[in-house]
Amino acid sequence: MNIILNHSSMIPIYEQLTDQIKSKIIQSLLKEGEALPSVRTLARELRISALTVKKAYDRLEEEGFVTTVHGKGTYVTASDKQLAVEARRKAVEDAFTQAIDKAKAVGLSKEEILEIVNIIMEDES
Amino acid sequence: MISLRNVVKTYNDFQLNISMEIPNGRITGLVGKNGAGKSTTIKLILGLVRPDSGEARVFGTESCKLTVKEKEQIGVCLAETGFSNQLNISDIECILAKMYPEFEKTYFQRKCEELKLPKDKIIKDFSTGMKAKLRVLVAMTHKGKLLIMDEPTAGLDIEARNEILDMLRNYLEEDEERTILISSHISSDLENLCDDIYLIHDGKIILHEDTDVILDQYGILKVNEAQYATLDQTYILKSQKEHYGYACFTNEKKYYQEKYPDIVIEKGGIDELILMMTGGYR
Repeated sequence: MNIILNHSSMIPIYEQLTDQIKSKIIQSLLKEGEALPSVRTLARELRISALTVKKAYDRLEEEGFVTTVHGKGTYVTASDKQLAVEARRKAVEDAFTQAIDKAKAVGLSKEEILEIVNIIMEDES
Repeated sequence: MISLRNVVKTYNDFQLNISMEIPNGRITGLVGKNGAGKSTTIKLILGLVRPDSGEARVFGTESCKLTVKEKEQIGVCLAETGFSNQLNISDIECILAKMYPEFEKTYFQRKCEELKLPKDKIIKDFSTGMKAKLRVLVAMTHKGKLLIMDEPTAGLDIEARNEILDMLRNYLEEDEERTILISSHISSDLENLCDDIYLIHDGKIILHEDTDVILDQYGILKVNEAQYATLDQTYILKSQKEHYGYACFTNEKKYYQEKYPDIVIEKGGIDELILMMTGGYR
């Protein structure tokens, strides 16, 4: 599996791993029913500890992207498009929440925040 | 797989007093400064040293009562191979084949070739790297469930170290039950390999933590005097005076990142962990 980890990033390794596998599933690069590499195999390939891989797999399972069949392996679950869309939407919401918290902390009003959003959106189009 | 319960061993001027638990399928690192008690711990686990009190068990059996069959399930890599300097690879192959029923000749020969170990040179003429690779290989060729490695990468260059670490990773991948205990001074080796880390200092375990928790959540705050005076000390494990103020070691980097966005926070690795927790940070 092609995963690129940044060891000097402040983002925890297991989180980087979770995010990358998730986006592979969302983009259907990993298909429903496909097996993920075993924990040890991926740990060896990426040169990280097996526990880190396990944490990432556990997280993916909690969020419903994969299921682990004990003694067999970890498989991509029904790539539920709704779930995938929701996951992406959630990530965007989180980013907005953070930005809004920052804006509030420096005393911006609701109107001012919306104005910033509008300006950014216009710049992009 | 390994269980040490309140194991105490006293030498003239040194006392070891530790407990540790290593489950199956785990790769655990043992770190600490020179003389902290790493090798004594390994000797206790192997039954080479008897504890004054407490219990050391491997596979559920007391270490000093391990049967031959059980010992065949352990692979060990200590500072010396234990073979005479005058032997060559072929001689060692014969010895291992006699000692371990599970010894795999083809695997041994293939690995010797891969690792470029010369077949007819005597060990005395081996380079440091060759000797180290041989030590690790000898520990692995009888397919034991438990590998115990005391500083397997000491004195090696980065390429040779990576080769050895890859050998260990492959070994683990072949059988999920396999367990490794490894001691090392070189923290980057352990950061990329071990599931969890025991830090031993003055004969005691002063910290046990998952490796990725250390890498993700531990960090060093660098603060000046004024910042230090108002700093929330809840998750500060240790602070040290520096010329710029204080270096504070935390196990909740994120908490401080959010609460004090202006403070300089560095990632904490195993080196920082050892230095901060054993009091030699600069």
